[in-house]
Amino acid sequence: MSFPSSSDLDGTWSFIQPSLGLILGASGDQGVTPAVYMNCYTAVYNYCTNKSRNSSLANNNNAVNNSYSLAGAEIYAKLEAYLVKFITGLTQDANESFLEFYVRKWKRFTIGAGYMNNVFDYMNRYWVQKERSDGRRDVFDVSTLCILQWKTHMFTNNADKLINETLVQIELQRNNQIVDTNLISVAIKSLVYLGIDIQDLKKPNLVVYINNFEKSYLEKTAIYYKNESDDFLSKHNVVDYMKKCETRLNEEISRSNNYLEDHTKKALLVTLYDVLIKQHAEQMYDQFLTLLENNETDHIQRMYKLLSKVPSTLQPLADALENYIKNEASKVIEEIKKGNDQSMEDGEDAPKKKSGSNAPNPKVYVHSLIAVYLKFNEVVDNAFHKDPIFIKSLDNACRYFVNRNSIAASGPKAPSKTPDILAKYADSFLKSSAKEAETIDMNAENLMIIFKFVEEKDAFEEHYRRMLAKRLINNTSKSEELEESVLKRLQEENSLEYTTKMSKMFADMKQSEDLKLKMKDRLDNNLVKEFVPYILANSMWPFSKNDDYQLNLPIELQSILDNFKKLYEESHNGRQLTWLWNHGRNEVKANLSRKGKPPFTFIVTNVQLMILLAFNKKKTYSFGELLELLGTIPTILDNQIAPMAKYKLLEQNPPGLEHQNKPDTTFTIVDEYKSRKLKVNFVSSLRNEQKQEDDDAKKELDESRKNYLSACIVRIMKARKTASHNELYNEVVTQSLSRFHARNIDVKKVISHLIDKEFLKRIDNNTYEYLA
Amino acid sequence: MSSPKVILTSSDGEKFPTDPKVAEKSILIKNMIVDLSPDGLEEDFEIPVPNVRATVLQKVLDWCEHHKNTIFPEDEDEDTKKTTPVDEWDRNFLKVDQEMLYEIISAANYLNIKPLLDAGCKTVAEMIRNKSPEELRKIFNIVNDFTPEEEAAIRRENEWAEDR
Repeated sequence: MSFPSSSDLDGTWSFIQPSLGLILGASGDQGVTPAVYMNCYTAVYNYCTNKSRNSSLANNNNAVNNSYSLAGAEIYAKLEAYLVKFITGLTQDANESFLEFYVRKWKRFTIGAGYMNNVFDYMNRYWVQKERSDGRRDVFDVSTLCILQWKTHMFTNNADKLINETLVQIELQRNNQIVDTNLISVAIKSLVYLGIDIQDLKKPNLVVYINNFEKSYLEKTAIYYKNESDDFLSKHNVVDYMKKCETRLNEEISRSNNYLEDHTKKALLVTLYDVLIKQHAEQMYDQFLTLLENNETDHIQRMYKLLSKVPSTLQPLADALENYIKNEASKVIEEIKKGNDQSMEDGEDAPKKKSGSNAPNPKVYVHSLIAVYLKFNEVVDNAFHKDPIFIKSLDNACRYFVNRNSIAASGPKAPSKTPDILAKYADSFLKSSAKEAETIDMNAENLMIIFKFVEEKDAFEEHYRRMLAKRLINNTSKSEELEESVLKRLQEENSLEYTTKMSKMFADMKQSEDLKLKMKDRLDNNLVKEFVPYILANSMWPFSKNDDYQLNLPIELQSILDNFKKLYEESHNGRQLTWLWNHGRNEVKANLSRKGKPPFTFIVTNVQLMILLAFNKKKTYSFGELLELLGTIPTILDNQIAPMAKYKLLEQNPPGLEHQNKPDTTFTIVDEYKSRKLKVNFVSSLRNEQKQEDDDAKKELDESRKNYLSACIVRIMKARKTASHNELYNEVVTQSLSRFHARNIDVKKVISHLIDKEFLKRIDNNTYEYLA
Repeated sequence: MSSPKVILTSSDGEKFPTDPKVAEKSILIKNMIVDLSPDGLEEDFEIPVPNVRATVLQKVLDWCEHHKNTIFPEDEDEDTKKTTPVDEWDRNFLKVDQEMLYEIISAANYLNIKPLLDAGCKTVAEMIRNKSPEELRKIFNIVNDFTPEEEAAIRRENEWAEDR
């Protein structure tokens, strides 16, 4: 092997050119031996070192230009020209597509480009590096030079053809035909390599990939799936379509992992989600109600997962859910109403109150509402993965149907009856008289589920407290523990303030218990064996003095009361005691049994007790006489005496309800009372003063709301000094939300009241000022 | 069976069977092996080295053998490279006659063995340092072809660099 003269450019080039052909694959993979490789390198080395030495010698005479120059430019130019000729000379085989040709040649060419870079390493190391560090941007290392020449002379003119053929292959693959995935992947990868930034060779650059390929790919993808999904939906149902979507999305994601740059992935998903999901969201919404109807949680979940890819499509679905729940709930309510009417007609379990179909069985009502909640809570859990949007829909729907169903409210402005019914529900399982079997599945959990959704929480408190008061003073609570646990849960769910009054009531009961023990020693006559006083704080308990009970107490009772009053004032001087005659129970032993039988025990009210005591003196009284003796009014006496006449303790003459309250009608005590039970209750069958209590409750509620609103408004105005009506109103609504929904009209009333009281001043038509 | 060798053939035809790890101190050889045997060497790999004669190639390979486990920092910045003194072993290794020194430097450049090239160049630089022009002319066998006027002019121009 003899090398060409190191100063002979043409000789050197003729020497290496055949080897370059071998390296770039002109004869396939054959022919590149270490000798070929080394000879090429050496020839380039010799040429460059020789020329460098010569040129530096030549420059020696020139004292001004003492920068030496490196040889390489001529070789570089020859190489560049050679590459152009080589690339343009590549030819496609007759039986291959352009894509196949391109990929085949590219794979070999890039390997060759790597060799070339090393064979020309000496030129790279000195001449190229010097040129580039001198700022030339049109000189490149040999590897880059190869790729750039490929780009200019192979790619640029054929880009459309190449991309089209690649996209056709991908479409074939989408159509489930077998394609050479390697072709697709190499072609796409080549676009990444061709993205060379000539300003900064080290910086990766996707310009070619994005401009030539990505845009078309996304367009084609959108068109393909638009056609496919339209066509599919015209022939299949939505559920099948959703399954198809899932499959297609998975396929496309795995395809993008195989072929595509990360840059494309996000845009691709946006495209796919738009064509496959957003464009067909309406069709999914339509199907949604059917799926709910049939309880097809799996498919609902499928729908949710698809739609959640495009978050903006979820809200309509959530709205649809909300409406559906509301509808379901009203159907359930209608069922209850129907069932209620039915049982009324059957006379079975007929409500004791006369309010008819408006007063449903609290258990049926509450449990039906809970059933709706639980059903859809499960749907939200399982199908919607507790997505907050759907939790909110469920909450909205529940809040709506709990407060504003056709049983709870007769009209849009009417106050809701739900708080009252819910309080009755609680009373049912908290009072001892309830039958175990009926209350077994009634509990605080259920109470709290509905309580959460009740808007007028203050109304619930009012009703609940009234019933609690009765349970306490009548000693009909099932268990103190249970009462306190419910109280604690209400407190946790709402606030400490919410249960203040009720807590005080429990405290009163405890203190009264102590008083009872102290009073034991002070009983000074034989008539009263036990005296159980309840001292109930005036504003905490839902009781008030009833002026219809101006009773003339018999001496034997009066002395006990005097005694007690003395005892109480010993420790609580200055407190006013007011007796609530319309409350209170007495247990009386009556010696009206047959000889040898134990005496009866009667449970009676205070008025009834006084009636019975009167008969100790005389066997017969007229209605008029009793009225005068007792000091009460006719309607009360009429009501109180009724059970005694009815259960044949008193013989009425003339008999008949219509004569009962005539002044001359007489009542005579029987000598011997007959009853199967030894204990007879004359209280439980008394006509309830329900109407009166409802009115009281409403009045108390209105009053407490007014107070609450006043406090609220004063607090806000104190902080703000001035506020417009709307600002003030909105703030009030926000602050009172945990108790009730403040109505504008009520707020206005309270404001005028506060203006009268000179807490506030009206500055102009719509603005208020706080007066210190 | 012994592991495959790289067999280097000097310009005067002598063969040097070499452990690939040693031979690959030459980036030229290393790249060539990667290019032509991408899966690693399975048999002996013959490489002609047409620009280096046997005695010089032997010297270069001795250096490679000695440094086969040395890790040379890559891409050191120029200033650090310039100020780092020549490694003690290299200094002794390069205590050879001038002709041999130049041939080693030349071979290191040809075979692309950067640390050896650097060591060689530094050694030459140390030969120049602190010498008068006359001494240098003697050491490097250079004829003074300046006219006295030219020499005076150059001295004036470079006055600032004089050691005082």
